[in-house]
Amino acid sequence: MALISRLTSLWRNLFHKDRVDQEFSEEIQSYLDLLTEAKLRQGLSPREARRNALLELGGVEQVEERVREIRMGRFIETVWRDVRTGVRALVHSPVFTVVTVLSLALGIGANTAIFSVVNGLLLRPLPYPESEQIVDVWHTPPQQSFPGLDKFSVSPANYLDWKAQSTSFEQTAVYTDTAFSLSTSGDPLPLIGGVVSSDFFSVLRSNAIQGRTFTPDEEQPGHDQVVVIGHRLWQRAFGANPNIIGQTLTLNSRSFTVVGIMPAGFEFPREAELWVPLAWDDNDRKTRSIHDYLVIARLKQNVSLQQAKAEMSTISSRLEQQYPEENSGWGAVVIPLREDLVGDMRLALLVLFSAVGFVLLIACANVANLMLARGANRQREIAVRIALGAGRARLVRQLLTESVLLAVIGGLLGLLLAVWGSKLLVQLGSLPNSGDIGIDTWALGFTLLVSFGAGIIIGIVPALQFTRTSISETLKQGSGRTGGTPIKQHTRKVLVISEVALSLVLLIGAGLMIRSFWKLQNVNPGFDTSNALTMSIVLNWSRYSEPHQRLAFADRAIEQIRAVPGVVSVGTTTKIPLAGGGSTQPFSVEGRPAGAIAEQPMAQTRYISPDYFRAIGISLRQGRFFSEQDRDNSVPVVIISEAMARRFWPGENPIGKRLTPSFHSEQGAREIVGVVGDVKTSGLDVDASAMMYLPFKQAPLPFMSFVVRTSSNPESLIQPVSRAIYSIDKEQALTNVQTMEQVLTKSLSDRRFNMTLLLTFAGVALMLAAVGVYGVMNYTVTLRTRELGIRMALGAKKMDVLRLVVGQGLTLTLIGVGAGLISAYALTRLMASLLYGVTATDYLTFGSVSAVLIAVGLAASYVPARRATKVNPTIALRAE
Amino acid sequence: MAKKQVDLLQGTLDLLVLKSLALGPLHGLGVSNRIAQITKGTFKVKPGSLFPALHRMEEAGWLQSSWGESENNRRAKYYRLTAAGRRQFDAETQDWQRISLAITTALKAT
Repeated sequence: MALISRLTSLWRNLFHKDRVDQEFSEEIQSYLDLLTEAKLRQGLSPREARRNALLELGGVEQVEERVREIRMGRFIETVWRDVRTGVRALVHSPVFTVVTVLSLALGIGANTAIFSVVNGLLLRPLPYPESEQIVDVWHTPPQQSFPGLDKFSVSPANYLDWKAQSTSFEQTAVYTDTAFSLSTSGDPLPLIGGVVSSDFFSVLRSNAIQGRTFTPDEEQPGHDQVVVIGHRLWQRAFGANPNIIGQTLTLNSRSFTVVGIMPAGFEFPREAELWVPLAWDDNDRKTRSIHDYLVIARLKQNVSLQQAKAEMSTISSRLEQQYPEENSGWGAVVIPLREDLVGDMRLALLVLFSAVGFVLLIACANVANLMLARGANRQREIAVRIALGAGRARLVRQLLTESVLLAVIGGLLGLLLAVWGSKLLVQLGSLPNSGDIGIDTWALGFTLLVSFGAGIIIGIVPALQFTRTSISETLKQGSGRTGGTPIKQHTRKVLVISEVALSLVLLIGAGLMIRSFWKLQNVNPGFDTSNALTMSIVLNWSRYSEPHQRLAFADRAIEQIRAVPGVVSVGTTTKIPLAGGGSTQPFSVEGRPAGAIAEQPMAQTRYISPDYFRAIGISLRQGRFFSEQDRDNSVPVVIISEAMARRFWPGENPIGKRLTPSFHSEQGAREIVGVVGDVKTSGLDVDASAMMYLPFKQAPLPFMSFVVRTSSNPESLIQPVSRAIYSIDKEQALTNVQTMEQVLTKSLSDRRFNMTLLLTFAGVALMLAAVGVYGVMNYTVTLRTRELGIRMALGAKKMDVLRLVVGQGLTLTLIGVGAGLISAYALTRLMASLLYGVTATDYLTFGSVSAVLIAVGLAASYVPARRATKVNPTIALRAE
Repeated sequence: MAKKQVDLLQGTLDLLVLKSLALGPLHGLGVSNRIAQITKGTFKVKPGSLFPALHRMEEAGWLQSSWGESENNRRAKYYRLTAAGRRQFDAETQDWQRISLAITTALKAT
């Protein structure tokens, strides 16, 4: 009842406002008439009666205003009126409006774009039901063998024990990813596929959209020739054929029956397009010391991450005692899936997010300054309104409406920028999970919130300033240009100082990133990156299960590639340096106590052809390279890196010493025949690790990467070299075909991404701060035109005026730089782990960036100062 | 007239307006006269407070207004209590009595 009454009143007040007002005027009139009549009856003269009645009423206008204030919908009505007034005011000063809207659009747009990335990667749930329950379970390796590594893949026997003994998980699954070659009528198609246990899909709570996933008996060797294909592969390789279920495919020269199709977007592990069952035989199931698998699990609803971690620690220490030979030093750790997927990006994204927030703050400070400058002209309007009885709160609200309006228009424009910007970010950053990055309702909400916030930030200072000024002062000043009381100039200076300080922090951040990047680019990777082509191949077990088959393939491939015109030399290895991945194994040194495998030292291991070092350009330090004579029936040999020599034979000559890599212990100890230079394998920012090279011919693994040194542009040889390899076996797909330069570039791509963005933001910030300093100094000169005119009339030289104005600008800049240095000193240490080769408080960066900013501040105040020197004293004095 | 005027407590104005209208419909001036009369001149409600109160209560659905003829054949706007207004009046009366009893007791306590 009451609600209906209120709603009808609201309706009437909003849409029949004139009638409501009219009716109340009549009511007041009738009240006055009745009151006058009563006074007449008391014996007053008609004039007296009217006068007394009016006095008692206390002003028709005031009563009407008070009634209006309590009416329903009053709030909506004022906001609407404020918006209309605001629009009118903005249309009235188009240049101001365009400049403000554009700077806010830039600031808000950049924020929304970065937010969409943060949202897609850090905030939004993964595309699996109840994904927050999904965790990765890893080994933690013994620190003396793997210094700095905090997680490690898992061996089959340990996984089976974990699964049998743990109670924290609803389901546990194990998987690995592998390269597949899908045979087609043309060249084989290289694909990444998951080799997964049957629980894999239920841990992810994902099911096939057609057909099914795997059953437990398909984990038995011999029953595992079934495949589930991804939506993308179904579309691109099979034309979305609905009858694909039940057909057979040739993968790695074996035939598989398609049993299911996964929904679009299901691409786990990363970039997987098909899945086959993981079928371990009895031997595999007993293997404890070869760590090759990844484990995911789904936490039970009532089990916390901490509890799961504690349980896994208990289980792994039990396994350590039970199998000290293989397991001592190996712990276990449970990490939420998202944390694992996003990994190192978190810190970088947060740094970028704060940087972009700074940019918006600087833009806001600039706009607030513009509003203050513009407000000087509106001072009179506001003073008149205060004199006419407008409340301060009412005026503040009106001014805030105007600034929020500006910010919202800026925000909408920014949204358009962000749609484009987030696409650019995905491209630039080759971000994981990139399908999830874009403008969704969250990003929309964020933009709206930021716009309102920005509107209030830019409006509140001017609004409070203007409404505080003394009415009489302002009205007395007339229409002259001397407006702008000292207090207001003070506010504007504080704003400019904060702009300078904020942009200094950003510039220092960017500077540190640039220094790191520059240092990294000058790091010697230990090999020659120019004119080299690389590609990888995984030999099918079905055709290359015998070592002599693999040897024959490698020999023929090398021979065919060498025959391609333009090829200088060719070698094979098992992992291209800097391309990601690696493989380590324990070894024992002859004459030293061997101990348990788990306690043996570790070294990165590569299996190479004799020409590998020559092809990639690794230099020989001591001894010799491998030759064609180092083969299966000759003396087992090994070449080690300098780092390994230094670490295990300090002050000794390692040549002739013997060591036994544990995976090849059946061949006995190997003689060290050479020492080669160190290479960066896991990244330019990671110290070269101990490395041993074994001749491929003495241990022919089923996978190899080719390094082809060319006499000209390596890209022109991609086609002929691929042809040469396909001519040997057309069912073997080549993967990762890229030049060595590309490998190097890719290894730095995350850093380049972070650096580019931070640099862009810092550049924008610097520009905005320069505009800010310029604006304030320019305005100061305008305000002081008269004073400067008098000074010059009294004999001040141009140089004095120049010094006066520039000096003032410089003071602002210096205070800003000082404040910025202190903040930067406190803030940059948070990004220490993103840096390489510089400390977070690198004095060179701090110094040079400050110098740049001071120079920009000087330039920005020089322009208005020049204008000041051109002041003509007579004109300046006449101006008032 | 010589009596000292007391500032109206927040909320008491509503109660007084409801009370004066409970006796029959009145126009604005009538309400303020009736309040002066029933409080023996202690409260004199100014139009600047009276009209906002009347309009607020009307929007809340406690009062209804219509144009009518005054005692001297002048057009005037009359207010009357609705059923909701009467319920509100009863509720506020009870509240007031409870409060005033409590305050009186409290002040008498030694």
